[in-house]
Amino acid sequence: MAWGRIVVALAGAGVAALAGSLLLLSGEQGSQAARSPLRTPSPADPLTDEEIDRVGEIASATLRARMTNGRVELLYIERGDDKAAGERRRADAYIYDYAANRFIVRTVDLAEGRVVAEREGRGTQPPPSRLEEERAAELLLADRVHGGRIRAAYARTAGRPLRSASDLGLRALIYTPRPASRGAEACSDHRCVRLLVRLPDGTWPDTTRTVVDLSAKKILTLTGR
Amino acid sequence: MRLSALLPSLLSCALIVTCGASASASAPARAGTVLPTGTVRPSGALSPGGAVREAARRAPACGAPYLVERELPNGARWRLCWEMRVIEGLTLTGVAYTPPRGRPIPVLRSTALAQIHVPYDSGEPRFHDIGALGENAVTLASADCPGGERRERFVCVTTRSRGHGYLKSLPGEPNLSALGHELVVYAAFQIGWYTYLVEWAFSDDGAITPRVGATGSLAGFATGPEYGWSTGTGDTHVEQSHTHNIFWRLDFDVDGPKHDVVEQYDFPGSGTARRTLSRTVFTEEAKAVNAPARWWRVVDTESRNADGHPISWEIGDSGSAQYRGPADEAFTRADLYVTQYRACERLASNNPAPRCAGSVDRYVSGQRLTDPVVWVNVSYHHVARDEDADPMPTHWQGFRITPRDAMAENPR
Ligand SMILES: [Cu+2]
Repeated sequence: MAWGRIVVALAGAGVAALAGSLLLLSGEQGSQAARSPLRTPSPADPLTDEEIDRVGEIASATLRARMTNGRVELLYIERGDDKAAGERRRADAYIYDYAANRFIVRTVDLAEGRVVAEREGRGTQPPPSRLEEERAAELLLADRVHGGRIRAAYARTAGRPLRSASDLGLRALIYTPRPASRGAEACSDHRCVRLLVRLPDGTWPDTTRTVVDLSAKKILTLTGR
Repeated sequence: MRLSALLPSLLSCALIVTCGASASASAPARAGTVLPTGTVRPSGALSPGGAVREAARRAPACGAPYLVERELPNGARWRLCWEMRVIEGLTLTGVAYTPPRGRPIPVLRSTALAQIHVPYDSGEPRFHDIGALGENAVTLASADCPGGERRERFVCVTTRSRGHGYLKSLPGEPNLSALGHELVVYAAFQIGWYTYLVEWAFSDDGAITPRVGATGSLAGFATGPEYGWSTGTGDTHVEQSHTHNIFWRLDFDVDGPKHDVVEQYDFPGSGTARRTLSRTVFTEEAKAVNAPARWWRVVDTESRNADGHPISWEIGDSGSAQYRGPADEAFTRADLYVTQYRACERLASNNPAPRCAGSVDRYVSGQRLTDPVVWVNVSYHHVARDEDADPMPTHWQGFRITPRDAMAENPR
């Protein structure tokens, strides 16, 4: 697969250990071993593993200098496809700053080895990363009412208690509040997801009125339309 | 067949307001942008410029295993590159068609899904299923890719029959007939209970059929009888009806990156003895809705086929259920959008780009079109039935892109 998942956690206390916190999580569907890292990619080829690693380093290196407090996360890296860049190899690093609830896209030029463009804003939410999906599931399961409901449903269908979020099939989708919905107003500014949860019998309990606020680390319940 | 008979054959008001073209469906086309069909330019302009030819001959922009280059039995060829993007999932770039014995004709710079919007009939939930599609690609088994090759486990490249390419009876002679074939490129994505088959078929006659098939399972959400249909055993469960609004983004590069113009064709007079051809040229960004017999085309105003006619690809036949959402879903209120290329405009809703408009209706902002991107919205209203029991049979939705004067004759 054409991407890796690189997570940079920049907690206030952890800045000194930052180099060590550049964590590469191999995706469960990744097949990167199949590709030679030494091959020179053609202009329209997906990013190679080596390129993904380099973009992660370049994009987070400048983050380190500029953001020393707050939780900043590199979500994923996408090949740059801007016509204006011609055939230059570029990549967009999708970054979320949880402290300021800001979404940042940094464009890295691989030949130049630097960030050549940056856009940031509030209120726009890119799709959740796999790591955010797992974190949302952990928050949900830790909640006495909502988590308890999932645990009970799991035990009923599996015949044994739920051990961890990895026992469940997960799909997180960004939740943006609609004009008449109540209960999750914070999500107009926060990073919120709806979590779909598959039980071992292949059914999906109705979790559509439950929203996980990843910014506030809270579970919200939707009311109204 | 279009399911647009419910709407009168009017241009959308958005089109009238925002489009620089003539507001009336029967008004003549704006002059100047496009030569009338059939106009032959001086001989020097008959063939595309040397640069375009050169580009077509040039090495493809991608290498194995991302390059797809296939000759079909009639001698036609398709060439394209694929990429599994994190957000859009399967994305095709550099799509070019070579008719039998002809030269390569570029058609699309890139195409990918731009949203799968799924509002349920009771009002909630309303999902935007893109999504990090690429992270949810399903590993295909060899049985899932019959007769084809799997590329990096997630993409199937195969060839299949498309029925008769033509059949003509000749008195006293054998029939003149041939079976047609198409190259198919597809991947599957697991989004919650649904599995989406995302497919592009490239036919030996130059046509492209993008479509999405929804299979997997129903949500299983119970609702009141006014919002659903009784499924499963007996009458204990009413499954909630919902709509799949699927958007494609198509960056056309008809016969090279320049000189692309989008036109709309109407045939007013339906129901009377005569129908007249009416052309509307989109000179500015535009929103358009389906109407009976209406279609669009992307035409290269500079290049000509061997007959001297401008080369184009036509868009139509969506068979859309034409969902029109509430005020906060304005992106569902047109069936086709034409916008000036902007790199940050990738999805039809929930666009994942800071400091960029958030949805396709907002991309239409009165800009002059010099590099048009086309967005096609096809909706399907899914009222569950007993047959939708697990595994749910695939329901398909899509549209057709067909060559119009790309060749001077049947490319057989
Ligand atoms: Cu459905």
